[in-house]
Amino acid sequence: MRIVIAEDDALLREGLALLLRAEGLDVVATADEPGSFLDAVSSFRPDVAIVDVRMPPTHTDEGIVAAVEARRRQPGLAVLVLSAYVEQAFATDLLAHGSAGLGYLLKERVGRVEEFLSALHRVASGGTAVDPEVVGQLLARTRPDSGVSRLSPRERDVLTLMAEGLGNTAIAEKLVITEGAVHKHIRSIFAKLGLAPDDRADRRVTAVLRFLQASR
Amino acid sequence: MRARGHLKQRLRVAVGGLEHVVGGLGTALLAFAALVWLVLVAVGCLVGVGLPLVPTVFRVTRAVADRERARLTRRGPEVIGPPPLPANARQALADLTVRRELAWLSLHGTAGFVVGALGITLPVYAVEDITFPVWYWLLEPGPIGPGIIWWRIDGLADAAGVSLIGFGCAALAVGLTSGIARLQALPGRRLLAPAPGVDLSLRVAELTATRAAALDAHAAELRRIERSLHDGTQNRLVALNVLIGAARRALDRNPDAAAEILDRAQDATEQALGELRAVVRGILPPVLDDRGLAGALAGLAGNCAVPCRVDVDVPGRCAASVEATAYFVVAEALTNVVKHSGATSAEVTVRRDGDRLRVRVADDGAGGADEHGGSGLAGMRRRVAAYDGRFVLTSPPGGPTTMDVELPCGS
Repeated sequence: MRIVIAEDDALLREGLALLLRAEGLDVVATADEPGSFLDAVSSFRPDVAIVDVRMPPTHTDEGIVAAVEARRRQPGLAVLVLSAYVEQAFATDLLAHGSAGLGYLLKERVGRVEEFLSALHRVASGGTAVDPEVVGQLLARTRPDSGVSRLSPRERDVLTLMAEGLGNTAIAEKLVITEGAVHKHIRSIFAKLGLAPDDRADRRVTAVLRFLQASR
Repeated sequence: MRARGHLKQRLRVAVGGLEHVVGGLGTALLAFAALVWLVLVAVGCLVGVGLPLVPTVFRVTRAVADRERARLTRRGPEVIGPPPLPANARQALADLTVRRELAWLSLHGTAGFVVGALGITLPVYAVEDITFPVWYWLLEPGPIGPGIIWWRIDGLADAAGVSLIGFGCAALAVGLTSGIARLQALPGRRLLAPAPGVDLSLRVAELTATRAAALDAHAAELRRIERSLHDGTQNRLVALNVLIGAARRALDRNPDAAAEILDRAQDATEQALGELRAVVRGILPPVLDDRGLAGALAGLAGNCAVPCRVDVDVPGRCAASVEATAYFVVAEALTNVVKHSGATSAEVTVRRDGDRLRVRVADDGAGGADEHGGSGLAGMRRRVAAYDGRFVLTSPPGGPTTMDVELPCGS
């Protein structure tokens, strides 16, 4: 897996590269600002880009803008965005044009290396990884009269993991239930939310996020 | 009874008036001294050596005028103070407030002085003359008496006559003193208060602007702190987290690599601590609390790469935010001295002048400091303006550079 890293903090950039190389992944280039990141994407054509949200010059949403631009230049490029804090608008901007091959994670998740790597692989293979914190905030903001309020606690757990981008097998492992049970919950969730069931992870996440945004 | 009460009331008014006159005489003396200085500087200008001293005339005038304002405010309706003096002499001379102050100075330093002298002469004569029978025998017999008595005094009967005159003086004093006090205060009340209309609205606009600037400075400050926490400390911790994660993964496969990664993690921790310390210091330097402004500035000078002398003479403490601003301004100025000036020595002087804190940072470097050069000067000016203070930078090419900052103490 060929990776480009865009992160302005030198220590963190090198730490990330070190971690990924130690895992046998191919970090082909690192960049410390949006311009050189886009150049690196053009010349190395990586499979995945890992991008920090706050980068020079203004340290606001340069990373999101650069990620969207990189995907415009290289359609199908998987992008995993790392953020110091949860900003709803960033996640929405990023996922506005579909969620396939996209991830939005808090920076501290990187320390849980196994989970970070699984999110990275999921994104690289066209899946989605949304930080539990983002999903949690979205769920917390749903109106009481929305369909979400009719979900059982177990169904909410399943919905949260779905929204993070996990597939049925991973959800079953996390919740220590059978895949059959997960299927049953998902059918029930979609029924309660009025959505047609679908097995493709990204469409599920899109559906979930759209529904949650609409119900804000 | 009513007559006695009335008399008591009149006496009280007269004594109050007398205090007023004495106070006014004090400021009149100061005004006279300032006038003398004005004349000396004016003569100096004619022969070409007085020009550099012109700003001192405005400052001295302002100081005396402020004293008179404070005195008048204690005695009656508040006399509202003016905005800070304009930065250069030409602007000051064109400034309406400054002109009115100069007019007041010439009136109060001359006529005000005469009126004040008259005002205290009456009661002095009264006391002298009334008590004359008690001590007339101490005088050599001759054509002299106390005060304005010019005729010959022979024996107790004449002395008693003088005493009667003294009572006359006392009656005059009681009747006239408060009027004299009002007369003496008149130029100050007219000329030191803001000019009717335009001036006060300008002042309100200016205070509104500085208040907005204070809020802006505050918001900018919060943004700076937020950014240094997010992009500094938090990133260090994230990097640390990444390194620990990597070390854990490496532990089984390659223990040597794990040890090396842990070394880097430790470096990251130390960096994080250092940055956190810097952020905390940037919010409100703990050293100000521990050692006061003088100690804090001495610490700054001690860490300065250019030899720096610090002279702080500030009785009491100023408001914490004002001290912090003074501290930051000096810190920034010394950074500039080290970075840009090429100076071999610098000097920091801090004085308290009434309710103003005056800070001066001077160096013997190459000068030519430019406010648009991104050397933090614009930021310093904003920070000072937020307190309705004054920021003057003199830095001709070739040097030397002097930075004067004036802040209200707020205590």
